[in-house]
Amino acid sequence: MKKLNKIYENYFDIIDSYFGSIKHYLGDSEYSHIDLGINMANYSLVADLMIDAIADLGEEIMKFWSENTKPILDSIKKQDSLKCVFSGDITPISLENFVKKSLLYIDTVVIPDPILNLTILQSQITLDRKFYLNKLIRHVFNVWRLKDLILVNTGIKPLIILPINFQIINDKDKNQLLLNAYEKFTNYTNSIFMQKFTNREDSLIFLKQFKTASEIFERIKQFNVLPNTFKKGSTFENFLTNFSNTKKYFQLGNESVGRDFGEYLLSQFIRVQEHKFFCEKVSGEPIYDYDLPYFFFSYEMGGLDMDASITNALQKEKFNWITKVPLPALKVFREENKLEYMRSILRKGITDLKTKKDDDLLKTSEQLEKNLKEAFKEQEKEIVSLKREVTVITKKEIPIATIGSIVGFIPYIGNYISLPFAFRSITNLLDQRKELKQKIDDKKTDFINLLIKSYKEE
Amino acid sequence: MEFNYFNDAMKIYLDYISRQFKKNPNYKPHSLIRAFLNAMQGIETAKDGENVSGISFEGEENNIYEPYMVILQKKKDGIEIKETINVKVNKQIPIDVMIMIFRLQTQLDKIDEETVNSQQVADALNAVIPGNKFYFLGDKWKEARDKFTKLLNEGKINLLPNDSRLEEFKQINDNTPWENYSSRLRALIGPCLFNDSNVNERMVITSPKGVIIEKYKVFDTAIEFLLGKISKYFKPFEK
Repeated sequence: MKKLNKIYENYFDIIDSYFGSIKHYLGDSEYSHIDLGINMANYSLVADLMIDAIADLGEEIMKFWSENTKPILDSIKKQDSLKCVFSGDITPISLENFVKKSLLYIDTVVIPDPILNLTILQSQITLDRKFYLNKLIRHVFNVWRLKDLILVNTGIKPLIILPINFQIINDKDKNQLLLNAYEKFTNYTNSIFMQKFTNREDSLIFLKQFKTASEIFERIKQFNVLPNTFKKGSTFENFLTNFSNTKKYFQLGNESVGRDFGEYLLSQFIRVQEHKFFCEKVSGEPIYDYDLPYFFFSYEMGGLDMDASITNALQKEKFNWITKVPLPALKVFREENKLEYMRSILRKGITDLKTKKDDDLLKTSEQLEKNLKEAFKEQEKEIVSLKREVTVITKKEIPIATIGSIVGFIPYIGNYISLPFAFRSITNLLDQRKELKQKIDDKKTDFINLLIKSYKEE
Repeated sequence: MEFNYFNDAMKIYLDYISRQFKKNPNYKPHSLIRAFLNAMQGIETAKDGENVSGISFEGEENNIYEPYMVILQKKKDGIEIKETINVKVNKQIPIDVMIMIFRLQTQLDKIDEETVNSQQVADALNAVIPGNKFYFLGDKWKEARDKFTKLLNEGKINLLPNDSRLEEFKQINDNTPWENYSSRLRALIGPCLFNDSNVNERMVITSPKGVIIEKYKVFDTAIEFLLGKISKYFKPFEK
């Protein structure tokens, strides 16, 4: 643990060295890292200076990971715990919120290092400079906000950063993953458009002919294998417009809308292969923070098992109230080893069989909500009954004992107990009352109560 | 978000310098920063209200480049920067020029050697000064020479009849290599390449291909262009 903490301290030293000059601009709001990225990218002249000054960041981070990946992987593999590996974006929109939801169920969230991924991307396809700086700052500070959680001294680390990128996989495995992805992509295109292509090039050539989103949409034959976003013409068109617009930052050519769609689909199947590869490496489950990339993984795997489904279902919007619980409470929750208890609450009524059939996790998320509501009711009942116990002790027992001590004896099963013994009895009773009161106070401030409070405020 | 240009630029650049020092303990920051550091040393023993100056430069005793003077005033609650002057052009350095200087340093630091060739000079200057103002003539010198000849014959080159450059040009033939032209003649011929376009918006570097110069000399070119006598011709800050 000390060794891992030392490694991550060095990681944060790198961030501080390159971005420490602007960290005082990071606000407290949950999306302040996004604001900071936008504002810095628009900070005339200074943005250019920063981009020039951090030009060697990619080299620095590669060196860091070349020295430190193995000890982290060795440590995480030894952990007999439930781990999840994030994919679908550079980092979740708000890593803090993502972690608050995920750590209700899993032991460790593994996220890809955003610095490595963005610097590799920049070196491969030369992103627009200001776009690059915007994204880099946003994702770096998204991680920076959780520095304390990453450096926490618990037995099992709740949050781990690892180098997760297709480019660092060895050539042999990379080639195999690409072949797998090409095959899946071709099969998927065939099934959507009822075609019989045998390779990805033919699929891409077929798609290239379509000049508009509506042309593509009209040719789709099987809607049941599409993610929800693609099932409606308007949302499909919106998606493709946004995707094509984003490409301008990547300085990639625009051949046709159809080709863009093909490239998007292919990129998802490659990403799924990358994600699977790294999940296997750390023996972890896959996790996403939004539906579209989740769909492709689930499609590949033919549905997800219980643990992956619960973790992903918790990311749905209906559980956003969980993010209102303060982060320090989550740390205490982990330190007090309440994870198994929470897990048992969440798992009720959910099985692998059920989740594999639940494509968009609607049923799983409904069951989770039900489980949480029941747990909250129980919790509230417990507090009420604890309160009653304290009242009983206060009203009936202590006054008698007190009277007993004053006269120097205590009536005890028809006998009398000498004064010292009476004092001990009083002490016991007072201790008991104190303990019960403490239990009530603990219950009120413990994580579950904070969840109840957040749920009710929603 | 309220930014502070000077502070932010300084902090970013100082962090950059720290990282360079880690890689190379002999790293030499730009003379502007050294001037600041020299002034800061003096501030430690100064009284409230007292001014302290720091000076630094590149080059040798008889050939000074990038000379800067920084004047600081000690105040009760801190330090005020009174002046940041490039002594060669004798002007205050505005913040945007200071940032360009820092950026130029980072560009030149990417080159391992202590010297740079003319193409590298043009590339570095174009990377930090907006508008793509610098052009290295390189192999296009013959084209420039031919255009100059044509313009001269058409009477479109306004020189005094006894201008030594004309005399020199008369001695030149088709086989004379560019290296044998004087720098004054090269500077006259080079810009003719752009005679039919934006000749007044571009600084043409007419050095022969093999010529290399010390990195610190590049800064003088930048400062001259941005703040020196020639800046009124190129209007570097106009969009």
